[in-house]
Amino acid sequence: MNLQDSCAPATQPSSEHTRAFNSILTHGISSERGVQVTPDTLRSDLAENDEKVTTIQNTSLLPPFQVPAQSAQPTQTSSASPSLQLFKKATTPSAVQSRAASTAASPSTTTGLVPPPASSSSASMASSALDAPFSKFHTPPPDAGQQDMSVVTPFLVKHISDQSMIPKDNFHKFCYRHNPDVTCNKTTDEAKMKKIQKKMEKLPSRDQEALSHVWSIFSAAPDQHRSLILQGILSQCCFPQLSFIAQEVSQLIRIDFISTLPMEISLKILCYLDCNSLCNAAQVSRKWKSLADDDRVWHHMCEQHIDRKCPNCGWGLPLMHMKRAREYQGEYDQEVKRRKTEAASSDASATVTPSNTAVIGDSQASNTESENATSTATAVPESSSSSSVIASNTAATTKLKRRAWKSVYSERYKLEKNWRKGIHTIKTFYGHTDDVTCLQFNRKYLMTGSYDSTIRIWKVDTGECLKVLSGHTKGIRSLVFDSQKLITGGLDNTIKVWNYHTGQCISTYRGHDAAVVSVDFCNKTIVSGSADHTVKVWHVDSRTCYTLRGHSSWVNSVKIHSPSNTVFSASDDTTIRMWDLENNQCLRIFGGIENNGHIGQIQSVIPFIYKDDMDYDKNSDSDNEIIEDENGVAVPAARSGRNGQASLTAIPDGDEASSTEEINEIQLPTNANYPTHLLSASLDNTIKLWDIKTGKCIRTQFGHIEGVWSISSDTFRIISGAHDRLVKVWDLQSGKCLHTFGNSSSVSAVALSDSKFCVGMENGNVKMYCFDDES
Amino acid sequence: MSQPKVIIVSSDDEKFPVELKVAEKSILIKNMVNDLNPDGLEEDFELPTPNVKSTVLAKVLEWCEHHKDSIFPDDDEEDAKKSAPVDEWDKNFLQVDQEMLYEIILAANYLNIRPLLDSGCKIVAEMIRGKSPEELRRTFNIVNDFSPEEEAAIRRENEWAEDR
Repeated sequence: MNLQDSCAPATQPSSEHTRAFNSILTHGISSERGVQVTPDTLRSDLAENDEKVTTIQNTSLLPPFQVPAQSAQPTQTSSASPSLQLFKKATTPSAVQSRAASTAASPSTTTGLVPPPASSSSASMASSALDAPFSKFHTPPPDAGQQDMSVVTPFLVKHISDQSMIPKDNFHKFCYRHNPDVTCNKTTDEAKMKKIQKKMEKLPSRDQEALSHVWSIFSAAPDQHRSLILQGILSQCCFPQLSFIAQEVSQLIRIDFISTLPMEISLKILCYLDCNSLCNAAQVSRKWKSLADDDRVWHHMCEQHIDRKCPNCGWGLPLMHMKRAREYQGEYDQEVKRRKTEAASSDASATVTPSNTAVIGDSQASNTESENATSTATAVPESSSSSSVIASNTAATTKLKRRAWKSVYSERYKLEKNWRKGIHTIKTFYGHTDDVTCLQFNRKYLMTGSYDSTIRIWKVDTGECLKVLSGHTKGIRSLVFDSQKLITGGLDNTIKVWNYHTGQCISTYRGHDAAVVSVDFCNKTIVSGSADHTVKVWHVDSRTCYTLRGHSSWVNSVKIHSPSNTVFSASDDTTIRMWDLENNQCLRIFGGIENNGHIGQIQSVIPFIYKDDMDYDKNSDSDNEIIEDENGVAVPAARSGRNGQASLTAIPDGDEASSTEEINEIQLPTNANYPTHLLSASLDNTIKLWDIKTGKCIRTQFGHIEGVWSISSDTFRIISGAHDRLVKVWDLQSGKCLHTFGNSSSVSAVALSDSKFCVGMENGNVKMYCFDDES
Repeated sequence: MSQPKVIIVSSDDEKFPVELKVAEKSILIKNMVNDLNPDGLEEDFELPTPNVKSTVLAKVLEWCEHHKDSIFPDDDEEDAKKSAPVDEWDKNFLQVDQEMLYEIILAANYLNIRPLLDSGCKIVAEMIRGKSPEELRRTFNIVNDFSPEEEAAIRRENEWAEDR
């Protein structure tokens, strides 16, 4: 191939340098017109070569080949200031110039190979580490033919002296990899340099010289020239050579994005990662660690995952407010003491524990609300705290030490991992002599009610039984407590309110004609469900009681949904009713075969708000459609008949709309505070998920082989306890069963918190499964 | 020649005449055009982008051209943006060497083209995702500057995230 020809099109005839260059290239490659070197110089050259190479490589970490790679970058960036970054920061223009001068002044000296003469030594010393090896390889050999020097030297002189035109303003003119303020990450491939060196040494010395000409020309050339040189070389390459280049290049262009991009972009990139990748990134280097551990990245991770399911990875992490409350309890207690001595309103401070702390911030629900382990899935942040309490909180907050978001995240992540893997420890509480029918716990206390007519209060961490409350004359079926009071419902038809700190029964509510099997309360309203088929709403302040009629059998579960001021009641009549506490009207009935409802007695109901997409049974809808299609006209008839029957016995107080259909035809006011979903558990062995808007069951969870007595749920999980002695942990969103735990006796009651769940069994024992232990 | 064009000039003085609609994908250019032509664009308008060289500018403008009619979610919808995978076209478009990807990210940042910056960052994130520290060093040519003791300590510190 004729190089001259192939290069010609790309060459600008007007450019003196290009022409010079071209001829150099030709010299370097064509053997016939090789560089004229005398055998003598060759020998001396070779002799000194080995020695020099080692010394230079010792003194400099940067190999010659880095020079072209580096200078190629910056020179492309600006035509106004060509080739300005050819040399690194250490090289001042004057040093460059004097070095160039030395090259020009002593063309017969092997600059670099031989210690430079006195005139140029200072300049060579001054030139950066980069230059030293570069000149080693590339400088024209001594006694190079006159024709050669006439081309090479002027070229080098011209272009190296061009460096003096570098503008003083070099900060943003430097490319990112050569900016003195940015750590240069391109490291010397020493192995490769040695390999090249070895290969070079095998060549005859005149070939060595020729090759080093090529390199020295290239490294001295300004950017546009370099492009031309490369284009010329590339156009000569055959496919295997191009393939070689492609491979080499893909290896060479590896950029440390994270270290060299502007910090905000690096952080943005890191924010797209999962925690595992971030933790790997933190182990890469110091710079990576500082960025991958950055609080902003982990704050974003916490926002994505804590108390919600991340849409990307499907992981959600518990809020762990109880843990936080415990950590800050000490400080808080001091704060309370101080406030008490100041005779501030001790009432408020005694009831409200510090809620919003620096770490979880606004998303944290106030503790009074969220400490209730059995509280429904959505602990809606409700700021019931008075202004004085808020003031005390801010005072306390300022004293708190800020924790790194990464540690906040990792703590929750470990807990969630335990949940997923089912790693737990078990505590057992012995004491009750009969079926434990109801229980609830918070970080301090576990309270259990039993058919043995007593309520026991246990200390969660030690397992010690603190109190046994007696007063009910028959078995206890239901209990609910907050930070001050405990309310219980019993088979003796009464509801009792206790001060559990003293163990005293404060008051007893009578009114139901049969056993009280469910209670709930919110603020000053108590709601109870009874074997007399009614739900009663007790307004403690006004001492009034309303009776909600409609169910045709026992009301096994009542739940107040305070944001919407509604009550949900689940009954043996296989339906759930939704009541408005404003006017005591029934808003909805959930049940019936047409809605894919339960076919057994419903034991438990939980209303909650869920904003993300819920997985539902795709089949159930289509099944319904098929049935309706097949039966055509017959379906509505059958439906009205069945509901007609029900409506005879189910007439809500003062409610004109009496049948299920009529009630359900009433459009729910578009009240954003209504729960979006219901969970219900039934003796038909299933757990069902309901859509409040449509009133239809959208998912049925099978798995228990006997009736489900109790369920509890939070943002992520459902716990169910059944007569088949099994406790199952389900994923709330998917409805899939994650774990099944066997027990020695059938399970009557379950309760769930971030890190634990608790089961009450027919044999009187209570077990607590703890997922927060490190072990 | 019906509509006046925006002529974007790269750092190496190459001129790229583009439709206003295309140029406006860059908020920087959009604002500059609007500020300097309060009455609307009446004639060709030349804009220098001294931080972007022609090879990169050509790439960026190719992206703008392709997406000139795309509607991107608002910046406010942080979540939607975060969770969305990289657009298939963008993914192919950004199948370039690291240097070019790097320059595109910088240019998108400088020219304020959020969706392109997002895509670029996501591509880099994909390059990082799921790799061990050693693989990361290899991928990005990074020197491990930890001492063996430090490395072991940092490994322990980050162990919790493994094996999920």
